[in-house]
Amino acid sequence: MLSASPRTPQGELTRDVRPRPGTSPQVVGPSGRWQLLRVLGPARRREQVSLRLFVIPLVIIFIALFALPVARSLYFSFTNFGGYSNKVSFVGLANYRALFSNATVLTGLAFTLTYALGRALIVTVLAIPLAVVLNRKFVGRNFVRAAMFFPAVPSAAILGLVWAFILAPISVGVVNSALGALFGVGPVPWLSTNFLARLSVVVVGVWQQLGWHAMLYLAYLQSIPGDYYDAADVDGASSRQRFFYITVPLLAPAMTISIVLLVVFGLQEYALPLALTGGGPGYATYTVSQTIITLGISNAQYGQGAALSILFLLMVAVVLVVQISILRRREARLR
Amino acid sequence: MRKGSWVTRLATSVVMLSVAFTFAVPFYYIVVNTFKTQQQTSVSPLGLPTSLNLTNYKNVWDNIPVLQSFGNTLRVTVLSVVVMLLVGSMAAYGIVMRKTRSSRRIHVVLLLALAVPFQVTLIPIYEAFVSLHLIDSLNGLVVIYCGGAIFSYFLIQGYMLTIPYEIIEAARIDGCGTVRMYWRIVLPLIRPVLVTVGIFQTIWVWNDFLAPSVFIISPQNYTLVLQVYQAVGQYTTNWPAFMTLTVLSLIPITVFFLWMQRHIVSGLAAGAVKG
Repeated sequence: MLSASPRTPQGELTRDVRPRPGTSPQVVGPSGRWQLLRVLGPARRREQVSLRLFVIPLVIIFIALFALPVARSLYFSFTNFGGYSNKVSFVGLANYRALFSNATVLTGLAFTLTYALGRALIVTVLAIPLAVVLNRKFVGRNFVRAAMFFPAVPSAAILGLVWAFILAPISVGVVNSALGALFGVGPVPWLSTNFLARLSVVVVGVWQQLGWHAMLYLAYLQSIPGDYYDAADVDGASSRQRFFYITVPLLAPAMTISIVLLVVFGLQEYALPLALTGGGPGYATYTVSQTIITLGISNAQYGQGAALSILFLLMVAVVLVVQISILRRREARLR
Repeated sequence: MRKGSWVTRLATSVVMLSVAFTFAVPFYYIVVNTFKTQQQTSVSPLGLPTSLNLTNYKNVWDNIPVLQSFGNTLRVTVLSVVVMLLVGSMAAYGIVMRKTRSSRRIHVVLLLALAVPFQVTLIPIYEAFVSLHLIDSLNGLVVIYCGGAIFSYFLIQGYMLTIPYEIIEAARIDGCGTVRMYWRIVLPLIRPVLVTVGIFQTIWVWNDFLAPSVFIISPQNYTLVLQVYQAVGQYTTNWPAFMTLTVLSLIPITVFFLWMQRHIVSGLAAGAVKG
């Protein structure tokens, strides 16, 4: 298998093997030491070529599962392809126009954004103080850590179903039974009015992710040297000042990761609202993912489904770029 | 850790333990109800069971092919995670060792894939799977999850850059070829990151609902999560039975969590600190 490789054009190899200006062999640091490889001369050519073979499987996966499907989605989005007939014709932007006049699609977009941003905001605001407390010594700390992390372990689909029972207006719905027993309020329609259903999805989403993100912050907190706090103590800083002027700024890099993960996975949420509310009442808790699947798979409107997935990709990309640039700038400012 | 009086410590304990218990109520709720009859559940959904009644377990075990769904999920998870780790680490090895302009270009292009949600590629993949006869097939699911190899690649690649180069050089001087170097030297060295990536990908694949709900049709191919989701319709009024099925389905992932807890936390730490 490896002997078949030297067919690669020689020119490219010589160019690749030649040391680049600025990369002297004395460079220290991990990547610098790895770069030594390139100055070892033509004796390593065969190795360079066989190393190329190691990358091929991943490149195949990239092409088959990412590049080609995205290109095909883009193509479908300009056609009336329905999946059954072979007669495909270009319809220009008709699919995109249809999406913007479809109330379900627009509700889905709005709810998905609300969910992703709302959940990210609430989790971040709660997880940082939680991590600070979890970093203190107290009896039962390990149990508290594990209990709060655990909701992130089971599937959101299963937890959504469980919460649907907990919030139900019937006797098994413990939230309503408790409210009734304590305050004498009638069953609250948690899952059957638009606002409360949306709120419930966000709250369950927060419940599921809070502990996980608190542990992420905790892991980062533990790498902050105690000296900062000692210095602050000497200067007579209050605990509030210590939190806002030392802890929060030092957590900036962890916040970047946590918030990006929350928003990106929030935008892709599918299982939780589906299991909790079925997308209802009406279309109040429909997500973009659910709309894509309903349009593209269940209704076989490939064109519209594909158009929505392209819009979704653009949305995710824009949110990612904006978020990362804001958060990185914040990190730099706080440093 | 700063000093605090025992009063504040006690207060912290009390507050945090109550918060933790509140967080755990949903799990307590599903577990206690598995030992009750439907009527007992409806009278006191949070009360402790009066006896250790295992009828629900027997009933669910006899009526729902839990073991089959477990086997399906296990097969899909193991196959996908092995492929992801193998393909991801091979590519990381190839790209880190070569360090040429073309491999840097590949690295950047692969980065783009991280921003592509599965929902975007779903329709074309579905359409392709129809002609490849991969709909309603567990192997089809494995193919989909192989996409996770790209994410694995990035984590492994980052870790591989921290391996001391002297080890590789020593092996090279001893005449070690690329394949042997990968298998005998590099793979053992990157074991910690393989464990971390393996755990996170296992939890993702095991729990995924989107792909099975779209691609799996026949009950004999259901994964555990899909099985629970489909059974809820059947058990609309038999709450204890539904909760029993839920508890059964959560046993494997809970065991996995308890077993790997230490690695999960250190994995989070590594991810957070590296930024």
